[in-house]
Amino acid sequence: MTSKSRQYYWFLIPALFAISSSFQQNKFIKQNKDASIKVIFINNVNGNKIVLNDSTYTNPFGEKYTISKLRYYVTNIELQKTNIPFKVKNSYHLIDESKTESQVINLTIPGGNYTQLQFLLGVDSLHNVSGAQTDDLDPAKDMFWTWNSGYVMAKMEGNSSVSKLVNNKFEYHIGGFSGPYNVLKKIRLSFPGKSFDFDEGKSYTIIIDTNINTWWQSVHNIKIAEHANITSPGENAKDMSDNYANMFHIEKIIAE
Amino acid sequence: MQTCFTLKKLSLNKFVQRMFMLKKVISILIVVFIISFALLLEAGRVVNDDEQTFHTTPLELKIPAGWPKPPTNIFANNPLTEEGFQLGRKLFYDGRLSKDGNFSCASCHQQFAAFATYDHDFSHGFNNQFTTRNAPPLFNLAWSKLYHWDGGVNHIELQALSPMTAPNEMAENIDSVLKKIRKDAAYQRMFKAAFGTTLMNSQRMLKALAQFTGSLISSDSKYDKVKRGETKFNSAEEHGYELFKARCNTCHKEPLFTDYSFRNNGLPVNDFLKDYGRMKITGNPVDSLKFKVPSLRNVSVTFPYMHDGRLYSLYNVIDHYSKGIQQSATLDSSLRNGIHFTDQEKTDIVYFLHTLNDTTFEKNKRFSQP
Repeated sequence: MTSKSRQYYWFLIPALFAISSSFQQNKFIKQNKDASIKVIFINNVNGNKIVLNDSTYTNPFGEKYTISKLRYYVTNIELQKTNIPFKVKNSYHLIDESKTESQVINLTIPGGNYTQLQFLLGVDSLHNVSGAQTDDLDPAKDMFWTWNSGYVMAKMEGNSSVSKLVNNKFEYHIGGFSGPYNVLKKIRLSFPGKSFDFDEGKSYTIIIDTNINTWWQSVHNIKIAEHANITSPGENAKDMSDNYANMFHIEKIIAE
Repeated sequence: MQTCFTLKKLSLNKFVQRMFMLKKVISILIVVFIISFALLLEAGRVVNDDEQTFHTTPLELKIPAGWPKPPTNIFANNPLTEEGFQLGRKLFYDGRLSKDGNFSCASCHQQFAAFATYDHDFSHGFNNQFTTRNAPPLFNLAWSKLYHWDGGVNHIELQALSPMTAPNEMAENIDSVLKKIRKDAAYQRMFKAAFGTTLMNSQRMLKALAQFTGSLISSDSKYDKVKRGETKFNSAEEHGYELFKARCNTCHKEPLFTDYSFRNNGLPVNDFLKDYGRMKITGNPVDSLKFKVPSLRNVSVTFPYMHDGRLYSLYNVIDHYSKGIQQSATLDSSLRNGIHFTDQEKTDIVYFLHTLNDTTFEKNKRFSQP
C-alpha cells in the first residue's frame, strides 16, 4: 500500500468512532450479563389447544362449550431468588388468545439461580385509579369498565347449549380491584427441580400450560347452566378468580 | 468485455497502479458512506431530542380565594397547558366523538346551562335514545374525587369513556374515534403542540379532554361577589341565605355547595328505571338509593332536578324536602323528619338559590365552541 493511499484511511478513525458511539447510545451493544427469557402461555383445555369459535370442549360438569374470546392480564412479573427478587419494570401484558404474539412475553433478567416466577393475574389497584393508561392498559383494548372504573382482569366468552342466555352465550368478565370481592391474584409458579439456573448470555423459553377448565372447577364449582353471566364485581366473580388462579403451571424450561 | 479487453493490453505494473487507484476511490466512498451514516444516526437523535423538549405554555388551575384545596391534584399526571386545554376544548365540541357525528360532549353539556342539558330530564343520544339519568352540569370538577351520580368513575380522565361508548349516548368506540380524528390536519397540529408528537391515542385524547373539563371553574356568581365584598344581597336573598345555612348547608356545603357525598334523599325508586344509584357500583345494600349530592351552583339553569330529572322547579324540590320524603332503611338521617319551610321561606330560599347563578361562567368565551 502506498503512503498516499494510506492517508485516506485516517478519515475512517473519526467516522468509526462516531458510528460506534451512535451504536452504544442506541444500546445496540451491551454487556451480556443478562439471560433472555421467553415466557409462552399455552392456553388449552386439558391439553387440547384452544381454537376460537371452533373446537368444542367439555368442562368438569360435562357441559360442552366453545370459546370466542379469551383474554387475561399478566402484570408485575417477578423472578424469585433466594436473596433479592428481580422485579421486571413496567410489565403489563394482555394475553389474548386471538393474538399469537400476545402470548409471548420477553424478559431480560440478570443471570442467576431462581426459584419462582411470580406475577399478578390482573391489573394492580394503583393502575385502576390513576386515570387514562396506554399500551396493553389502553381502555381501547376492551378490558376496561367505563361505567364502574376498573379493569376486567380476565375475560372469557363463548357458547354452551346449557346456557339460558340469548344465543346460548356465556360471558365472564372478571374484575374488581378492592374490597371483599377483589379478584387480583398473585400467581407463584415454582421452577421444576426447586430452582433453575438462568445463565448469563443465554436464552431460555418457559412454557406455561394454562388449563382453562379450572375456571369452572378448582376451589368452587361454577356451572355454566347456573352462571352463564358473571360480568360485574361481586361474589361470583371472586369465586371464579379463586378458580382460575390455579390455571397455570410451568410445563418445561427449554435452554437454547 | 471492455475491461477484459483493456486488461490484456496493460502491463502488470500498470495493472497494479490501477488497482491502487481503484482502492483509493473505494476507500473514499467507504469514508463518505460511513460519515453520512453516522450523521444520519446523529440527526435521528436530534429529532428525538426535539420531541422531548417541545415547548408548551403551562397553566395553573386557579383556586378561588377562600375555597378549600382540591382533595387530589387531578392534573398530577397530566400537566395543564394551554395547548392541552385547547385540544380538549376542540374534542369536547367535536361530534366525531360519536358514532353518527351528531353528539359531541357539548350536545348534552351546554355551556348556557352550566354544561348540563337545558330543560331536559334525560338527554338525547344515538338513534333517538334517551339517557337514563339527568346530565350533570360540569364545573369545579377538580374538587370531585368520583364522577357520575353513582360515583362509578374514579378519575376525571376516565369519565369521557363512559358517554363515548354508551350505546344510548355517543355509541362509539375509541379506535373508531381515533381513526376519524387522525385524518384531521388540525388535530395533528394540536396533538403535536400539546404532547410533542402527532401520535393520537386514547390516553392523550382523554388527558386533553380532562384538561378542558377540569379547568371549568365557576366562581363568579352574585353569592361569590357578596363574599368578596363587591355587592350585597337584597333582604329576601339575605333571609334565604340564613335559612340555607341553617337547613341545607350540611349536604350542600359552602363554598362548593356540595360535600361530594352519596346520600339517599328520600326519592321513591323510579319503577321504570329501577335505579338504585351507588349500590350498583359498590354492590353494598347500604348504598341503595344513594346518589351524589349535586352542587347548587348555577341551579337556576340546571333544571329539571334530581338524578332522573323528576322535579321540574326549585319549588318542587323544596316541596319534596318538606313533605315528599319517603322513609327507607338507607334514607339520610338528616332527612328523617323532612325539612319544612313556610311559603315565605320557600320564596326567600329560592331568591338565594338564584344568587348562585354564574353568568360569567355561562358566557365565558374561553369555554365556548372554538
